[in-house]
Amino acid sequence: MTLDCKGLSCPMPMMKVAKAMKELKSGEALEMFGTDPGTKTDLPNWCTKTGNEFVEMTELEGGVTRMVVKKA
Amino acid sequence: MSESKEKNPLVQLFGTFFGKHWPVWVGGIVLGLLNILLFAIKSPWGASGGITNWGDNFYSLFGLFDAKAVTAINESNYGMLVLLIVLGSFAGALFSKEFALRIPPKGEMIKGFLGGGLMAIGATVGIGCSIGAFFSGVPALSGGAIIFAIGMFAGVILSLKYLIWEMEKFPKWSSGKSYNYLAAKPNQGNWQIIAGIIVLIAIIIMSYSYAKENMVMSWFIIIAGLMGLISQRSRFCIVKSFRDPFMSGESEGAVGVIAGLAVSLIGFTAIKVFGIGAIGELSIRAREMTWVFPHFWAKAAVGGFIFGLGMTIAGGCAVGTLWRMGEGQVKLWFSGLAMVLISPLSAKFLVPVVDNILPQSAKFRNYLPDYLGYDGAFALVLGILLLWYWFVKWNERTGRFSAF
Repeated sequence: MTLDCKGLSCPMPMMKVAKAMKELKSGEALEMFGTDPGTKTDLPNWCTKTGNEFVEMTELEGGVTRMVVKKA
Repeated sequence: MSESKEKNPLVQLFGTFFGKHWPVWVGGIVLGLLNILLFAIKSPWGASGGITNWGDNFYSLFGLFDAKAVTAINESNYGMLVLLIVLGSFAGALFSKEFALRIPPKGEMIKGFLGGGLMAIGATVGIGCSIGAFFSGVPALSGGAIIFAIGMFAGVILSLKYLIWEMEKFPKWSSGKSYNYLAAKPNQGNWQIIAGIIVLIAIIIMSYSYAKENMVMSWFIIIAGLMGLISQRSRFCIVKSFRDPFMSGESEGAVGVIAGLAVSLIGFTAIKVFGIGAIGELSIRAREMTWVFPHFWAKAAVGGFIFGLGMTIAGGCAVGTLWRMGEGQVKLWFSGLAMVLISPLSAKFLVPVVDNILPQSAKFRNYLPDYLGYDGAFALVLGILLLWYWFVKWNERTGRFSAF
């Protein structure tokens, strides 16, 4: 599943990610594109707390960050 | 980066400050210390008074307010403080290559404006915002500050429920076309660091220009610039501290605010007990009553509640709005604009109505040491902070009250 959170600021990206993760099955991955710097800290922290796996973070052109999370 | 640069201690120091975000508790402690410094120099940190000053100046440009009765921004400590928080954050975002003009979908900009408008009403009715009435008011041992916090908490919970409902029922309101300009390219974008240096030099020149005639302003400019920069690097935000335990369950934001409050509590109490900065017997009492506003209890409760609604919808409290403006979050520009435009109108037309309705017993200055002594008041506030800390940590572990 891919989630577009570009242009959104706190708390919307985290709320959308949490909602999207609810719809995934264990082992499935969520790919998220965002531009809020805060999400780069918030999402790994949230994964540590919830036990989901924070797979990777890549900086793309135009200030966009791609993050991938796998559901526990 | 070359090996020689890697070993340069100054480059390493720069990387420590601007390579990644600071833990919120580090930001909270430093902000708490700077708040003590502001109080020692003149008076504690606040944001809504400065924002109203900006609005007053705006309206007086069009002859709507009496220009003579309005303090010019460049003569208002708190008007300048607001500007310098934005500039300090701008510098911090540039140094860390995090600056970009982030234009969100239309629905988000509308929410930004509405949230800012509610914050303006809450701050003018409640006499203070998340900073003045809460982050400074609580360590100032003000009973009204505790009531303001309770009101703010209720507003945050209700507003968070609204946001979750909106996301479920109307997801399109927070999605759609967005734009991102001026972002640094990966492993490039050194222009942002150069621009950051220019902003920093401008702040220093601005401070120096006041040095001869207004030393207090010189210090306010430097401290506020640092506050903006530190807030941006640590992503210090009051709404995050109240909201996240009930949203994602995260406690980091709350722990940061608690750390800042605890540090300020010690410093503010010392300033008040010893009357630091007071001259003569009368002003010792004035020093004690600094940042103890006449809003206990109903004015603080109503104002805090409306402010809590607003800051959650906007996604930034008073300082959170200002530093996000500095890093280029256009949604928060709309919040800031609404605060500037609506604060003077609310102060002029709405606050007198509220004041007429509320009896004196619902809007007085409650100084906790008058009832509990300094030791009792200190213990009460510290106890509340420890209880809050225990709750957010327990909730983080159990997820009992988190929505996700």
